[in-house]
Parts: sequence; C-alpha cells; structure tokens
Amino acid sequence: MTNSQIQVNHLVKTYQVPVREGGLRAALRSFARRQYDTVEAVRDVSFSIEPGEIVGFIGPNGAGKTTTLKMLAGLLHPTSGEVRVADHVPWERRPEFLRTISMVLGNKSQLIWDIPALDTYRVLGEIYHLTSTAYQQQLDELVELLDMRELLTKPVRNLSLGERMKCELVAGLLHRPQVIFLDEPTLGLDISMQGRLRRFVLDYNQRHGATVILTSHYMADVVALCPRVMLIHHGRLLYDGGLADLAARLAPFKLIRVGLSNGHTDFSPPSGVEILQHEDDHLELRVARAAAPAIMAQLLNTLPVIDLVVEDPPIEAVIDQIYQEGAAVLKTAEPPTGASEEGAL
Amino acid sequence: MNHRGGWALIKRSWASWLQYRSFFFVLAFGWMIPPLIYLFVWTTASEPAPIAGLTPPQFVAYYLVLILVNQLTFAQTNWTVGDVIRMGSLNSWLLKPMSPLYNAIASEVAGKIVMMAFVVPVSIILAIVLRPELTTTPTQVVLCCVALSSAWLLRFFWGLWLACLAFWATRADALLALQDALIFLLAGVVAPVALLPSAMQTIARVLPFYYMVGFPVEVLTGQLASSEVATGFVIQAAWLIVAVVLYRLVWRSGLKRYSAIGG
Repeated sequence: MTNSQIQVNHLVKTYQVPVREGGLRAALRSFARRQYDTVEAVRDVSFSIEPGEIVGFIGPNGAGKTTTLKMLAGLLHPTSGEVRVADHVPWERRPEFLRTISMVLGNKSQLIWDIPALDTYRVLGEIYHLTSTAYQQQLDELVELLDMRELLTKPVRNLSLGERMKCELVAGLLHRPQVIFLDEPTLGLDISMQGRLRRFVLDYNQRHGATVILTSHYMADVVALCPRVMLIHHGRLLYDGGLADLAARLAPFKLIRVGLSNGHTDFSPPSGVEILQHEDDHLELRVARAAAPAIMAQLLNTLPVIDLVVEDPPIEAVIDQIYQEGAAVLKTAEPPTGASEEGAL
Repeated sequence: MNHRGGWALIKRSWASWLQYRSFFFVLAFGWMIPPLIYLFVWTTASEPAPIAGLTPPQFVAYYLVLILVNQLTFAQTNWTVGDVIRMGSLNSWLLKPMSPLYNAIASEVAGKIVMMAFVVPVSIILAIVLRPELTTTPTQVVLCCVALSSAWLLRFFWGLWLACLAFWATRADALLALQDALIFLLAGVVAPVALLPSAMQTIARVLPFYYMVGFPVEVLTGQLASSEVATGFVIQAAWLIVAVVLYRLVWRSGLKRYSAIGG
C-alpha cells in the first residue's frame, strides 16, 4: 500500500431506512418484522489523500458527504469497499485509531452544557492519556491560536454560537489528531468568525501537518482552505481536483461587464453573446470562454466603451449549476488540459 | 479498558450534575413519595395488630431501608443512555478511545452521589421522627451489603439492556414505564412481598424485580429464613447473569445496526 493517509477503494454504502409508523404497537411490531427502504447513499467512491492535505468535500444536502465522513471516522460500516485511514480500518474502532483522528460536527456538540469547557478538556486529556505537560502545552497552543482564553471558564450555555464552535474545535484537537474531519465547522457563524476559523484550520494544518477533510456549504471556506476539492452528488464522486479547474470545466464561459459612455443605451448583441443584464449604459454579458477575446475586440471597436471587466463566473453559480443539473453538466463540459480526471489520483 | 478516562468522566459528570443538584433533589424527593405513602398506609393498618408479624415500627424500618435501597439502585441509565441513543450524541461516545459503558457508569455513579446528599439526611430526619424498630445482626448487615451491590448491578444492567432497545424503536421508553410499574408492584414497594396474594408472591419471587429492591431490604430487616436468603442470592445471581448477557447481546447487535443505518 502507498503511504497515503487516507485510501478509499470502491466504497459503497447502502442504507436500509426503516419504514414504520410511530407508536408503541408499531415499535413492538418492528422488533419482529422490520420493513426497509433501500437508499444508495455512496456509490463506488475511490480516492486517496496524502498526509497534510486539506481537501474540501462538497456537494448538495444528502449527496453522501457526511455518510462518507462517518465511514472514514469508523461510525458507519460500509456495505462494500475498502477504507484505510492512518493505516487502520476505521470501523474496527481500535483505540490507537481513535487517538489519531478527530471529527468535529458543526451541528453537534460534545461539550457539556452547564459546566465550563475547561472541565470537559480535563476529561478529554485523561481519556486520551495525555501527560499533564502535553495537555497544558496543547491546550495553550489551541487557546492561543483561537484567542479564547476568557471562554475557558464560562459555562458553555453562556457562550455564543461562534464561541462555542471555538470550544468545540479545541475539544476536537486537544489530542493533536493526525486526521481531522470537519463537518460544516462554520455553520451559522458570522463572516468574521468564519474567517477566523478558516485561518485557524490553515494554521493548525501547517503547524502539525494534519490531514483535513472539510465539508461546507460556504464556498468561501472551500476557496480559502482547499487546494483540492472532491465533489459528490447522488453518492458518486463527480470531480476530484483543483477548484479553479472545476470552474473552468463546468463553466466554459466568461462574464463581461461593460460601461458605455453617457447616454449610449443602444446595444444589439453580436451572435454568441447572451445579455444577463442591460441597465441604461451598463451591460452584463455571458460569452463562451473561447470566443471571449474576439467578442471583447468587437465590443471595443463598435461601442463607446469606457469600462470593461472580464470575470469568471462566481464559484457559487458553478456549484449551483451542478447541484441543479447533476452529473450531466460534467459530462458535457470539456475537460481542460492537465486537469485530473475523476476517481483516484 | 481505559480506567483513567473513565474515572475522569465520573468526576466530571459528578461536577456537572452538582450544577443541577436542585433538580436531582426534586427527583429524589419524587422517588421517595410512593414508599413514604405506603409507609404511612401500613403503619396505620398495623396499629391494631401486627400484619404478617410486622409491627408499625417494623414497617417504618422496612420502608426507610427500602427508600435508601430504592434510591441507591434506581436505574438512571434507562433514561440517560436511551436519550443518548435517541438524540444521536452516541457518535461522540463512539469516537473516543474508551468503552461507552464508562459513560453509563459515570452518570450512574455521579447521580447516586448527588442524590445521596439529599436522601441520607432526609432519611435520618424521618428515622428520628418516626422511630423505626430494627433488630439486625452483623451477618445480616454484611449479607445486605452483598445483596445491595448485586441489586444495584442487576438494576443497572437490566436498565441498560432496556435502554439499548432505543437502537430499534424510538418509543421503546414506553417499556421503561412498564418496568417501573412492575417494580412498584412486585419489588416490595406497594407492600412487602410477603403481604402479596400468594399467586403474585410466587411471581414476584421468580421475576427479577424483587431482587432489585425488596430482597436486600428483607435481608437486613431479618424477615427471611436463612434458606430463603440462600435461594434469594442464587436467583439474584442468575438474573444478574441474564441481565449482563442481554445487555451485551442487545448492545452489540444494536451497535451493528447503528453502524449499518447511521445515527
């Protein structure tokens, strides 16, 4: 086997979702005879991740992201396929494995509501068998990075959502895990807190060379942190590679914003130009990537242009397009040269 | 096994539960009410003549000991572990390099300590006011301690396997209410088991519930012949084994199911 930190081969997870009505009678009946629907949550996913990589795991709700993360963390048993994380089979849940990983869920808390986070950290230090020096040193480092010393002694219930997330991260990273699964860590946080947590994840990754898989619905998280993204949709890995390549591949067009000199409002589009917006003397156009230079030249020659901006479409729009249209978009899109193909690298 | 982490967890749970001590005091008070009611019922009823050989002060002794035994053995795990499974916080237990059993033990021990801070003083006050009559021998005290420890283990593991039914059915806690009702009827709370109609008495002495509460009480108060004490220990041990085996089976297959369908 390679020295990959995470190696996933042909991972499949089929859920048996129980179908039954509520109530005691139904509960008792379901003991004897259970009825299920089958849901294919993850279908034949393969990839590998090297030590120290930060990978963004993106996809719409219900795409299979969390299911995959739970299999990597050992909480779920796959239907078929192989997984090795830090040289362990996760679902055997060996203590050595559990000491190397951490999973931080943005929507679940492992802190106790009514006591200060510090009390929880002490217990974690004991559970992970940290020496008192290591415990103090690792706690100090995290507290420093997150600038949160004053939060340690307040009961958790008195903290704001952002403050609580800081405490969660410390709880998750206190034992200095080598593999970190962050599921929606910035969920519900304000812009500056999101930025702060991003910088923290990056800092931590650089200091300790930890491997990070991050899921998020905020593309800003992914843009800021993840040189590599994996896009999962309907349980299939649709794309694995750089974020910029994904955009180029999915959105083979450019946006052109044009400002025209005073009062010039007439505009008839040349062929191959789609008008997104036309307000007085401002135009927003969408053109095929390849045709962009020619069309720009044409615009400059035929119109009194005072301002011209060329942009890539925003990443959110690109992602939205896949979420809406699914795999079809990727299949029709031309892969740019040099971009990695989907599947294992 | 990770005893170091487990011990830290017990201390933390205790500290956190001290935060809600008034809640626990109210809870403990609630649990004391039914035995207290029957204490007054039976002491009044036995005033004209002893019932089944028990005088009013002996009924007081029986029920005061029962209150302590009931509080010490009460299976909180029924609710705490069941909730953890139902609410999905089991994931964070499973991600730790420590057996989740420690979490159950921690909340059990921590809760008991917090409640004893209320129950012991209240029982002493009741004893001073109500003047129980308790004649017991050192042997009976020792035997009672043994019976009490196994009663606690039995009720703990019995509660645990019931709690683990939450893996299958979210409304499984209805079964827990049934279990409480059976304890009320058959474990010696509504009346000492010797006072039950003979058919019910037979059932009570076969089922596990009597061995969770009534048995250690009667061992201490000397209401049992030595042969009955010996049989009692055998039945109690047998049920304890059944409870542990059931817990392991239900926990394992529950966990398997959990990791198959996700929490």
